[in-house]
Amino acid sequence: MAPDHQDRTRDDSYLWDGSGQPDPEIQRLELALERFRYSRPAPPLPAIQVPAQPLRWWSEIALNPWTPRFAATLLVVSAIGCGLWLEQSSRRPDVARHGWDVEVTSASQPSENGDAGVAKKSERLELGETLETNAATKASVAVAEIGRIEVEPMTRLRLLQSGTGRKRIALDRGTIHATIWAPPGQFVVDTPSAVAVDLGCMYTLHVDDSGSGILRTTLGWVGFHRDGRESFIPAGAACPTHVKSGPGTPYFEDASDAFRSALAQLDLPELNSASRNSALDLVLRQARERDAFTLWHLLPRVRTGERPSVYDRLAALVPPPPGVTRDGILRLDGRMLDSWWDAFDLGDIYLWRHWEQSWTGRPTSP
Amino acid sequence: MARGLGFSNAILDSGTMTGTPAVPDDSDIALVKASQAGYRDAFGQLYQRYARMVHGILLAKVPVAEVEDLVHEVFLRALPRLHGLREASRFGAWLAAITRNMAKDYYRQPRVQLECNDDSASADGIAAPNQQAHTREVQEILDGVRSLPEAYRETLILRLVEGMTGPEIAAKTGLSHGSVRVNLNRGMQQLREKLGQRCVAASGGRKQEPRKID
Repeated sequence: MAPDHQDRTRDDSYLWDGSGQPDPEIQRLELALERFRYSRPAPPLPAIQVPAQPLRWWSEIALNPWTPRFAATLLVVSAIGCGLWLEQSSRRPDVARHGWDVEVTSASQPSENGDAGVAKKSERLELGETLETNAATKASVAVAEIGRIEVEPMTRLRLLQSGTGRKRIALDRGTIHATIWAPPGQFVVDTPSAVAVDLGCMYTLHVDDSGSGILRTTLGWVGFHRDGRESFIPAGAACPTHVKSGPGTPYFEDASDAFRSALAQLDLPELNSASRNSALDLVLRQARERDAFTLWHLLPRVRTGERPSVYDRLAALVPPPPGVTRDGILRLDGRMLDSWWDAFDLGDIYLWRHWEQSWTGRPTSP
Repeated sequence: MARGLGFSNAILDSGTMTGTPAVPDDSDIALVKASQAGYRDAFGQLYQRYARMVHGILLAKVPVAEVEDLVHEVFLRALPRLHGLREASRFGAWLAAITRNMAKDYYRQPRVQLECNDDSASADGIAAPNQQAHTREVQEILDGVRSLPEAYRETLILRLVEGMTGPEIAAKTGLSHGSVRVNLNRGMQQLREKLGQRCVAASGGRKQEPRKID
């Protein structure tokens, strides 16, 4: 991890939840600002009107006499808007508006007294362009107004989408450290083997020359997906990704080597039955309470006959919340799986479903 | 819906409920569902729980003197729309969105520009010089927070002014823990820089120790 990342993640527990060593400066600010705090009781409220027979939303729209007029107006406005947008786009290419600032740092030749210096240069990465660092260069990229990417040597990335809304890059190979403070779902990284979606966080993503890689989350969590296979990686966890099979099974990095190695085996589609049984047995035996999220990921990935044993171990570590049944989980009911995930308190899966819907136009289940 | 939550009262024919139901489950979800069923007192409890969040979001965006009245307006705006909220668990995020829209609407409406500073403490009348200096410093700190980028400003006000913890901010606003934590850290970092710069400016360009607020 880059030193800068370590600085940012140093003890912030007092700022975060008031625990840990009190920070005198924050305490002074709290004391000064508490005079503005809201402390009034709730005033009397009017009665709440309850619709006698609530209509479904499409019925409400269909029955509304203004709907045809509104639809016609919307059509005309959309047509005009599209025309203007196309005209503007042809006159002024995107690259002029959506580039990102880049600061490239290069190790310079040693001077006469033997000291090696550094040279800095400001560049601009425009839409469609590629940024490539060599063995002696690093780069720091300002991701529009929503974050920053530190680019390690021997890395190649391309800017695919910017402007308002989603920002998207492709990481072909190398390592980036991303710090994103935009709302979840706005920063997306394509790799040859999976797509990483920021859900409010700080993370490191490495892709090797074969296109496989690994993602490590420092703060918040990240979603990783490809072809309906999903992995959620909370802070302190890592997740490998493979060109052949997509996102692997994530794990906390303090898990034992044997546990991690067994998980890696289970991610291999061509593993024979004996090795598979042995790896699954080890994972289930060694799983700690905090590894519940790893077992949750295994549920849809293991074979049907293996699923009951994963369910039993997971239920022993984190009991399923009300409404989540053994039968439902064994038949991979999406709502029940989501509900169980939320019981781990690692991040609201609603965020992921919301953004996933916005990409695909339809909800998907794990 | 209400029956499943253990409410004993039946919904009145008029379509409104003003009584106090027996509330065996006082989770936010239960309160939202009870409010949707017409229980005004349940909405009153939600008001109590979310007023600080609403106040903090508004304080990040509109003049201090306007904030308290707007808090009530936000809840009055939310009330008739509550039955349209399909996911009770998203109440906080939904209410936060209404609050942000209310702040936008505030600037869209024509209004008389007040001559006075919106410092709530400036109407104290004759105050001792050291009190005035303290008030000025407090106002400068608030201005410093309010000049941060929007995401940091809102989160930092909820933490420093409203006294909410990071996990509480995440739970109430619907943001992820990671987003809130990053916003707090980066916001605090920028605030330190801003307050430091003001120290330098106030001392005529000479470097000065960060101001102590006692």
